[in-house]
Amino acid sequence: MTDALLQVDDLRVTFAVGGREVRAVDGVSFTVDPGRTLAIIGESGSGKTVCCRAILGLLPTGTAIGGSARLRGAELLGLSDAELRRYRGSDIAMVFQDPARSLNPTMRVGLQITEAIRTHRKVDRREAHTQAIELLRLVRMPAAERRFDEYPHQLSGGMRQRVMIAIALACRPKLLVADEATTALDVTTQAQIMELLLDLQTELDMALILISHDMGLAASYSDEVLVMYAGKIVEQAPATRLFGAEGAVRMRYTRALLDAIPHLERPAHAELPVVGGRPPDPTTRLPGCSFAPRCASAADDCLAKAPALLEHAPGHRWACWHPCENGVAS
Amino acid sequence: MAAPFPNATLATPVPPPLPSLINARRLRAQRLGRALRLWVPVGILALILGMCFLLPLVVTLPSSTAGNILYNNEPPFSPGHLLGTDVQGVDFFSMLVYGGQVAFEIGVAVTVIGIVIGGTIGVIGGFATGWLDAVLGRVLDILLAFPALVLALVIAEGLGPSEIHVIYALSFFGIPFVGRFARGATVTIRGLPYITAARLSGTRRWRIIVRHVLPNIMPSIVTISLLGIGITIILEGALDFLGYGIQQPEASWGNMIALGQQVLTAQPEYVLIPSIALLVTVASLNMLGDALRERWGTQ
Repeated sequence: MTDALLQVDDLRVTFAVGGREVRAVDGVSFTVDPGRTLAIIGESGSGKTVCCRAILGLLPTGTAIGGSARLRGAELLGLSDAELRRYRGSDIAMVFQDPARSLNPTMRVGLQITEAIRTHRKVDRREAHTQAIELLRLVRMPAAERRFDEYPHQLSGGMRQRVMIAIALACRPKLLVADEATTALDVTTQAQIMELLLDLQTELDMALILISHDMGLAASYSDEVLVMYAGKIVEQAPATRLFGAEGAVRMRYTRALLDAIPHLERPAHAELPVVGGRPPDPTTRLPGCSFAPRCASAADDCLAKAPALLEHAPGHRWACWHPCENGVAS
Repeated sequence: MAAPFPNATLATPVPPPLPSLINARRLRAQRLGRALRLWVPVGILALILGMCFLLPLVVTLPSSTAGNILYNNEPPFSPGHLLGTDVQGVDFFSMLVYGGQVAFEIGVAVTVIGIVIGGTIGVIGGFATGWLDAVLGRVLDILLAFPALVLALVIAEGLGPSEIHVIYALSFFGIPFVGRFARGATVTIRGLPYITAARLSGTRRWRIIVRHVLPNIMPSIVTISLLGIGITIILEGALDFLGYGIQQPEASWGNMIALGQQVLTAQPEYVLIPSIALLVTVASLNMLGDALRERWGTQ
């Protein structure tokens, strides 16, 4: 195994909301290897975005962050904005969910790319311009020279996201975090953007963290999948192991999520299985497994004591007292 | 019997036209309304500004400070005096023109000071958060908490009557007025993803403010500034009226109203004319601000 690019250990994020503590991320550890793709899956509020924002230092001041996140051995947590500037853009970059609001509406898109280039490299205007056009070509932007002088409102959602990716890639980061980067786009564009990200990943040899609630996306594009629930990792496995023919899903929450995906083979108008109930209130801490209240096969021990996230098989970690046998819910 | 269509449909040779969702006439009326809301105040303001600043350059107007006592209290439309003369025989139209110059000079100067100082404080405070924002925000709050006119009165009284002192005095209203607004607009912009994106690509803070925040709050600031000019002109009029601003023999709309007030029953036009000038100017500024707000979609 190569040296990890990003190593996150026991990350904890606590917000103080109205005098109460909200544990958004509760002891999350994972590593990202160079050039690999990690998908972080979870429903709204499971802590996946907060987790990545904490690593990038984007959480509001006054948020309690614990644990460590090391980028090639250098600690990122607790750094000031000025110190983080060294890593942002050049080592880690991020693409957001909403391409409509991620670009400054009053600036030509080309200038927004050159700004990102010139922040990190001492190049003159002309050179930055050339590099920006190259970046636009790299992200397969049609008519790159013409688009350089256009404003964000003149571009489609997919094109805006391409510009965002061009900005993120301006300084060839080693790690790109795509936070629901394709959620706001329609399915065809989504596939194009995902293909583009994967192409660029191999071209530039960067690691990718895909944050998503879309199991299908994770299955098609990632090497490794990490499932989060209520601020904790509940299962982590290589994508082939989770979604492959043998289907080795263990954790019952992952199983329930997979079951909720509609299949063509199912009879028409059959009711979709859903994960009943709602995620637990993040201000209260359950003594047992946080999924137990919604779990069909929860037993007394599930409510009494939380299962630890342990590596039960090589590369496959899960936290469950009564895991599914052979990936099938019993 | 199951007919494929209801009989009524089959019997009607030409189906009745569908009601159009877009009423062309109403659309035209809306467009016209939108254009009028912008261009009417622009036209009125252009007229007033032209009258105040260009007319004296083109035509030689009678003096606005001294007059011939022999021709005092002339009614409007008398020869040589379009709007008549006052008790001292000073040409009323000239006074109105020079009073208008003073009003606009003070209105614009105070607002520019407000934008430069208040805007800087507001944007820095709104962007900084933490203790700096708290301190700057409270300073603006305290300034805004004073009744603007009373504060200006005290300062103008302390400094003595003159145009520049009125500007200083009213700036204590103009700075927090624009500042509070700039802070609010900055806070809104700061939360948007493109600011986070700029931070994420390692852009320096001042550069984020100059390139990403300022251009995006500018429409709101321009809109509020027009409103600010209007309020300033009213406050200036009030200061003059109370005798703490521009004083006789220099003309201003405020002291014209004050003088006219003494002969209100005999010659109501002495109060009416400068009052109408003030009303039309301020109303046009407000209307222009509203029209721009409507076009730019700012709050």
